[in-house]
Amino acid sequence: MNSLIHPLLALLLAPLLLGIINRTKALFAGRTGQPLLQAYFDLAKLLRKGAVYSETTTWVFRAGPIVGVAAPVVAIALIPFGGIPALLNFPGDLILFAYLFGLMRFMTVAAALDTGSAFEGMGASREVQFSALAEPALLLGLAALARLTGDLSLSGILGSLTPQDWAHAAPALALVTAGLLVVYLAENSRIPVDDPNTHLELTMIHEVMVLDHGGPDFGLILYGASLKLWALGAILTGVVLPFHDERLWPGIVIALGGMFGLAVFVGVVESSMARLRLLRVPQLLVAAMVLSALALVLLMR
Amino acid sequence: MSSWIDGVMVVLILTNLALLGTSRITVCIRIIALQGVVLGTLPMLAGEEVTLRLALLTTATVLLKGVVFPWLLLRAMRKAEIQREVEPYVGYILSVMVGLLSLGGSVWLAQGLPLPGPMAGTLALPVALFMIFVGLFTICSRRKAISQILGYIVVENGMYAFGAVILDEVPTLVELGVLLDVFVAVFVMGVAIYHIRREFDHMDVDQLDTLKG
Amino acid sequence: MNEMAIFWLLLLLPTACAGLCLLLRSPQAIMRVVGAGALCQGAVGAAAALKVLRGGQAILSSNGWFNLDALSAFHLLVMMIVFSLSSLFAWGYFHEEMSEGQLRLRLARRFGALWFGSMAAMTLVLISNNLGILWVGIEATTLLTAFLICIHRTAASLEAMWKYLIICSVGVAFAFMGTLLVAASTAGVLPSDEALLWTRLVASAGQLNPMMLKAGFLFLLVGYGTKAGLAPMHTWLPDAHSQAPAPVSAMFSGFLLNSSLYCILRYLPIMEGGAGMAGWGPRLLLLFGLVSILVAAVFIYFQRDVKRLLAYSTVEHIGIMAVGVGLGGAGAAAAMFHMLNHSIAKSLTFFGAGRVGQHYETHEIGKIQGMLRSCPAWGAGLFAGVLALIGAAPFAIFMSEFQVLKAAAGSHSWWTLGLFLGGAGMVFMGALRHLIAMAWGDPSITRVQRTGWLEGAIVVVPCLALLALGIWMPQGLQDAVRQAAAVIAGGKP
Repeated sequence: MNSLIHPLLALLLAPLLLGIINRTKALFAGRTGQPLLQAYFDLAKLLRKGAVYSETTTWVFRAGPIVGVAAPVVAIALIPFGGIPALLNFPGDLILFAYLFGLMRFMTVAAALDTGSAFEGMGASREVQFSALAEPALLLGLAALARLTGDLSLSGILGSLTPQDWAHAAPALALVTAGLLVVYLAENSRIPVDDPNTHLELTMIHEVMVLDHGGPDFGLILYGASLKLWALGAILTGVVLPFHDERLWPGIVIALGGMFGLAVFVGVVESSMARLRLLRVPQLLVAAMVLSALALVLLMR
Repeated sequence: MSSWIDGVMVVLILTNLALLGTSRITVCIRIIALQGVVLGTLPMLAGEEVTLRLALLTTATVLLKGVVFPWLLLRAMRKAEIQREVEPYVGYILSVMVGLLSLGGSVWLAQGLPLPGPMAGTLALPVALFMIFVGLFTICSRRKAISQILGYIVVENGMYAFGAVILDEVPTLVELGVLLDVFVAVFVMGVAIYHIRREFDHMDVDQLDTLKG
Repeated sequence: MNEMAIFWLLLLLPTACAGLCLLLRSPQAIMRVVGAGALCQGAVGAAAALKVLRGGQAILSSNGWFNLDALSAFHLLVMMIVFSLSSLFAWGYFHEEMSEGQLRLRLARRFGALWFGSMAAMTLVLISNNLGILWVGIEATTLLTAFLICIHRTAASLEAMWKYLIICSVGVAFAFMGTLLVAASTAGVLPSDEALLWTRLVASAGQLNPMMLKAGFLFLLVGYGTKAGLAPMHTWLPDAHSQAPAPVSAMFSGFLLNSSLYCILRYLPIMEGGAGMAGWGPRLLLLFGLVSILVAAVFIYFQRDVKRLLAYSTVEHIGIMAVGVGLGGAGAAAAMFHMLNHSIAKSLTFFGAGRVGQHYETHEIGKIQGMLRSCPAWGAGLFAGVLALIGAAPFAIFMSEFQVLKAAAGSHSWWTLGLFLGGAGMVFMGALRHLIAMAWGDPSITRVQRTGWLEGAIVVVPCLALLALGIWMPQGLQDAVRQAAAVIAGGKP
């Protein structure tokens, strides 16, 4: 029964992460900023609205947002949280984890292309290009973790990681963390890869793909995105804070603290860095890949 | 101790990969300087206790590789009016990939060659082999003569890293002799670049091709 | 004499001469110091070498850092011969340039200082017992000789200098890695402050870690082999030799390469003594030697520049020495004898090529015709020297090559024998073809080159020496060669 705690927490709290990020940014900019719960208000508003569909679109366009929520929900079910085993786990589920996001991306891209708009095609092309570089980094990082712990499921990996691992394999774990962090920022379309607040179509990546979605569809996309933010963040938190406790609540508190801390960190990054030029983004992602690969090499010895 | 050494080794690996992926020569020189400083700490970490000899060696290495080399190279760049682009034959991302592959190769090679003695488990040998490869690759894949000096320094640094970890009590005279030689080498190469620039009006190695057969 | 005094004298004399050259005020005076200093140094070095070779006892300094055994003494002797000859020749070679005011004071000073400096570095290589210092010495020779290549600053000479500097520095850096690996092989066997002392390493070779030794030797062979000009790492060599002034080319070919080969030879007894590796190191050296001979043969056949031809001939001869040492036993002794012969002959031919080139103002074979008529002395010297180099019969190189062949036949290495003969035959045909074209024919220049008595002597004496050694080998030389070979075999540490 405990295994249900994490999915429920994620479904409930994921939009809060967006609020924390925005609040941090506002703090840095000297503004009061949106309320912490703004994302919930937005979702509520969007779900109440009706949707308008272009005549050129097909069912693919409508399937995009739905898969966009379903995929991260399944992914979250695979992740252990604060010492609680995951709802689902089997050897090799880390591949499923990585490719659930692949599926989500595929459907979003397909939906974007379905509109036939030039801008959305451009955004789709960028999204695919960058994620093609981010995916190896994610997989190599997970492979390095699997190698370190000798386990092939996410529950096994994050469950058996202990603070002692940080003592004797610090270089490798630091490299994996750095690599996963870049993947985290890139996959969630945050600065320095993409700017979620931009309104210039020419420079947008993720946001430009969903321009034609409205009402509940857009709400689903927003919710899906926050779930993705949660899912990848949970992996990172699990690596950085591998504390397990016999009791239930201390682990959950630490893990939640990690999640919120990560959100604050993202806010700090977004406030202190500029978005990279599109030409430089592949270099950043390759660097992430290099870090993960290096960790794997170190652990393979 | 050995986990600290491995940490330093990882930093060395990262500086090398950064070197392969960098497009500005001045940044490359700074990366080499960072590498030199990190390298200088190795004898301290490898030694059992801090002796006067180790302190001397560390100071000499850090000064030479972290300060003097970059200064010499930057001066050579200024005097010879070298453009800031690296101008590689092999693209940056591809270079990094090659570097990564060679790292795997070095680790694989080093596994067949277990080091005797207390430093058996460290990354010293694979990193040395990797740095030799990166240095040679930099020499071959970059058009400007100054990149070849950088490559030479990387090769030399790799061997120094290996030596610092493996040999704890080499006579100081030998180590100072080695450092002196490397210093003179970089100095002479810097002077040579200046002359080449004056004679040819360029610094591109691929145009040094009149002598063949 | 106290043993330390010998070593310090050998090192400090050239250093002092280098300093003196920087202080003098006229090119003529510097050239005189070059000649006189080299003769003094030659006398001291030869005396020390003969003392070791006569007595059959190595001189080991009390702190273990210097060691002059038969192998290094023999090399020292060869080096002194080459250096004395080259220094005397340099005086004649630069004479015209000095009187025309082309050789400025600054360049003359640089030449003198670097010339003696590289001599000191090479001496350091030969007398050092510490393998780390050995490396330091070799690297120092690279750096000191680099600017000797471009005393005459032209685009081509700068290019040659850059290639020499980069290829040899990186190559020699490989040797450093090899040295470190050899030192790593001593873990737990020798105290670490003795890990690089050659005498200690040879004495305890059997207990060293064989994997480390093997890996180290590979690095050493590639590293020092680059500087020694073994193919396929020889690519810098023809450029540097063809662009350097003739005395420098002679010193490069006649001794610099030998000193690098010497470093490899130093490691052979350690390799041979290592557990379960008998024959591994020499076989590798043999392979590189054969490749060098064949590569050089092809390039000599199609060569157009006389100095490059001589450079490739050096690659061939270094290859022959490597083959001789690789065969072991009588082959090593033959290789030592060959080294002496080659150094004398190659110095003579580079002198000749340099002076003939000055007269014709080109080094292109196609543009040099009738050199026997227009440069009687140096034309004849070059002619005789090349004949000796390609192994024509009465000269000493014929004898030493024959001995190497005999060693190959004696150890039933028929492949080695066949490839060596094929390569040498091709060199013979190729070089002779070019030589005949240069020697006879109508000279394009009617002016006849004039030479002084000193230059005449520099032509005649080496020729006579080569002839004499080819016909009769004195007992003392036989002993010396045998002793040097015994050191390589590890018999007498």
